[in-house]
Amino acid sequence: MGLLLLCLGIGWWLWKGVAAMEDPEFIIGPAAYYIINTAEETGAANIVAAILFDYRGIDTLGEASVIYTTVCGVAMLFSKSKYKRSSAGLSFIARRGVSFLVPFLLLYGSTIILMGHMTPGGGFQGGAVFATVTILLCIVFGSSFEMSRIKPKTKETIESLGGLFFVFLGGVGLLAGAGFLANTAAGFPRGQVGNFLSAGAIPLLNIAVGMKVGAGLSTIFYSMVRVLELEFGEQMSEVEGNDKN
Amino acid sequence: MTAFFAFVCVFLALTALVASEAEEVLSAVISLSVFGVLMAMVFVILQAPDVALTQAVINSGLVTSFFLVAYSQTQKPNLLEQKQDIGDGQ
Repeated sequence: MGLLLLCLGIGWWLWKGVAAMEDPEFIIGPAAYYIINTAEETGAANIVAAILFDYRGIDTLGEASVIYTTVCGVAMLFSKSKYKRSSAGLSFIARRGVSFLVPFLLLYGSTIILMGHMTPGGGFQGGAVFATVTILLCIVFGSSFEMSRIKPKTKETIESLGGLFFVFLGGVGLLAGAGFLANTAAGFPRGQVGNFLSAGAIPLLNIAVGMKVGAGLSTIFYSMVRVLELEFGEQMSEVEGNDKN
Repeated sequence: MTAFFAFVCVFLALTALVASEAEEVLSAVISLSVFGVLMAMVFVILQAPDVALTQAVINSGLVTSFFLVAYSQTQKPNLLEQKQDIGDGQ
């Protein structure tokens, strides 16, 4: 009972805080700086993308390397090279429905990535959409179909290329003498705010992060499912052998 | 808009309660998925569409599928007993 009251009290407190945030006089400090100067300094219409990939670019590199480390660990733990069985997949209706949906999902994901500097979204979100598409294919068509269409090696290559591309774009700023991951100061064209070709290196960094996150999450899911099916298949064959005996 | 926000918040608390208290794991997973979608709506209302996109894709897509894969690999004593009962009945 006391816990419930505590929860309600904290909820009420949060509610008041949310209501207070709509007041413009609470936009102070860094928030005010970003709102005033982002369009002029980076050329990005999406302030969040500008903060993620320009002002705090090295934090984003850290997040991307967290995902990279996770993928490496999972792929190392679950590294069985061969597997015998594949999941059967779902019914005909589910297969037709998903194959109708997949092109639209791919279009949605690439829109989120490519328009990340103008509209909400960016590399992480679009990459997660791509990973969801491969998971859908894996569940609906069976895992051997997904492996035959998109080889695990290709995914790992895409992920590593994304990471390398990100660091390379950071190195361009270093070469220009403006610091690691510098955007307009390193000579990337700023463009017109709101145009598709604007905001310097931010769209390129979005593409790099999208490659990384999409291939990485897909690799995690795929290697887990593969090993689970392997173990399940071995158990099944053991059970069948026992039955025969 | 405030009424809608309050409705979503109350429903959010309800789904979180169901996810933590439900005895069947599958109900808890589905409830968590609904929780993620509602959370994305809350983020949109609070004018954070970037976070809302991440929340919608990750929580209702990736996390749910991970949980379902994990669930499909665990032993389910209740379901097994039920199946045996049905088999005995036939």
